[in-house]
Amino acid sequence: MAIQDDFPILQRQVNGHRLIYLDNAATTQKPAVVIDAMNDYYTKHNANVHRAVHTLAGEATDGYEACRTSLKSWFSAERCILTSGTTEAINLAAHAWGHSQLKGKAIVLTEMEHHSDIVPWQMLAETFGNELRYVPVKEDFTLDMEAYEASIEGAGLVCVVHTSNVLGVRNPIEDIIRIAHENGARVLLDAAQGAPHCQINMSDLGADMMALSAHKMCGPTGIGCLLVNEETFQEMEPFMGGGDMIETVTLEGSTYQTNEHRFEAGTPRIAEAIGWNAALDYLAQLNLEDQHQRLLEIARSVAHELRSLGMTVYGRHDDKDSSVVSFLHPTLHSEDFAHLLDARGVAVRTGHHCAQPLLNRLGINGTVRASFYIYNTMTDAEEFIGHVQDIVERFA
Amino acid sequence: MTYPEQLSELIEDFKSIDDRMERLEYVFDLASEVNELPTSEWNDSTRINGCQSEAHVRVDVEDSHVHIYSGADSKLVQGLMGILTIAIDKQPVDMAQSLTPDFAVEMGILNSLSPSRSNGFRNMFDKVMNDLSEAE
Repeated sequence: MAIQDDFPILQRQVNGHRLIYLDNAATTQKPAVVIDAMNDYYTKHNANVHRAVHTLAGEATDGYEACRTSLKSWFSAERCILTSGTTEAINLAAHAWGHSQLKGKAIVLTEMEHHSDIVPWQMLAETFGNELRYVPVKEDFTLDMEAYEASIEGAGLVCVVHTSNVLGVRNPIEDIIRIAHENGARVLLDAAQGAPHCQINMSDLGADMMALSAHKMCGPTGIGCLLVNEETFQEMEPFMGGGDMIETVTLEGSTYQTNEHRFEAGTPRIAEAIGWNAALDYLAQLNLEDQHQRLLEIARSVAHELRSLGMTVYGRHDDKDSSVVSFLHPTLHSEDFAHLLDARGVAVRTGHHCAQPLLNRLGINGTVRASFYIYNTMTDAEEFIGHVQDIVERFA
Repeated sequence: MTYPEQLSELIEDFKSIDDRMERLEYVFDLASEVNELPTSEWNDSTRINGCQSEAHVRVDVEDSHVHIYSGADSKLVQGLMGILTIAIDKQPVDMAQSLTPDFAVEMGILNSLSPSRSNGFRNMFDKVMNDLSEAE
């Protein structure tokens, strides 16, 4: 059975055409096993977690905690705090760790970061006066590593995107972490785009914190995690207060849990955790490395065809890069392209992709972005190129 | 509502198109209907705010008739301007001011567009009407 058959939404028609979904860097589609797992939870096991002694509560707790266990195993992480997504995970890092550990220290970011990995640090800097240093992106779409090395002295934290959501470029994370640690700085990886495409081993990499989202790897929206090594975890202080994160509460004060629950105040995302766990099980059946190579070949082919049609392609599609193809036509507006492709059943993303500093660096306002995932085929790519060609011939 | 003849014909043209792609492509074709506002004349006072693309319009009134000049870096947005041009250019001011954006709903074009583009059309319409009031 083909992978596409596992994804019910791919059977639908959009505007009278077969759906060709190429907006995977924004969110991926969900296989039936994920939808079924969430439906099964609400149908048979729904209850709140951690407190009650009844059977349903036990089943719900087991399902929720199984997701945490799977994530720790999948990414070789010491601690896993479940959040609403990558954005909340980075905000949590800024508040729970940054507020107490970054006073008087510089923070190194890159021009390639998603807004989610810029704004929380700008907000922190507004409060504590931290210096923010941005590593430039070079003409070849890679980070200026010399500038990075020059910026590291006195830094307490380096925040870097594992794989760019605009360019698909996979950054030299190993070197970035090594240089940071040699200079006494911690590293937070934004792995929202990297995690769906390759097996990231946090322990081997030596990253201190790593943020990612379920929905970009076949899981549901509304859940993600902050993975943390033990040393950093022990330095974190509670951010949000409320139910579930406490040990005891009296009118005089409260004491807090010492495990990950310390950072998960309130009723958590139980069905979403169960859905994410099902997504991890689903992906585990596939060979992600084989999929990565297949999708990269598709991306390279698409990039080549787009260039031959007169487009500027932003990215390089190196061996470890993701299958994202950002492009612009010299005269046809990116929004026009997206509308015309949508009318033909093709879903792509346009705009600044929540990475305005990067687009400013590239001297553009936005791109059309086609991003491929495990259910996309070379046939999808060929039909997409056919539609692009048709649009260029008719409207450019 | 009774529309000017050329606008009524355009509404009927759009109503006769069932296919979303054809309807969208027809909007693109109407980009050529605008009286071009050269980019050298684009400035803050001509800018249509709330559009995802760069879009500009200038409205003049001569002998109580509307003259509309416009341009955009998006062909789709310029096509929407083309529709507005067909609707009100060279028409008496009072007729233009009696229009509401509902004619675009009747055409079926707003539901062919993304919410942002649909809002962009309403912003465009509102700016033209405001400029018209000031130009009177």
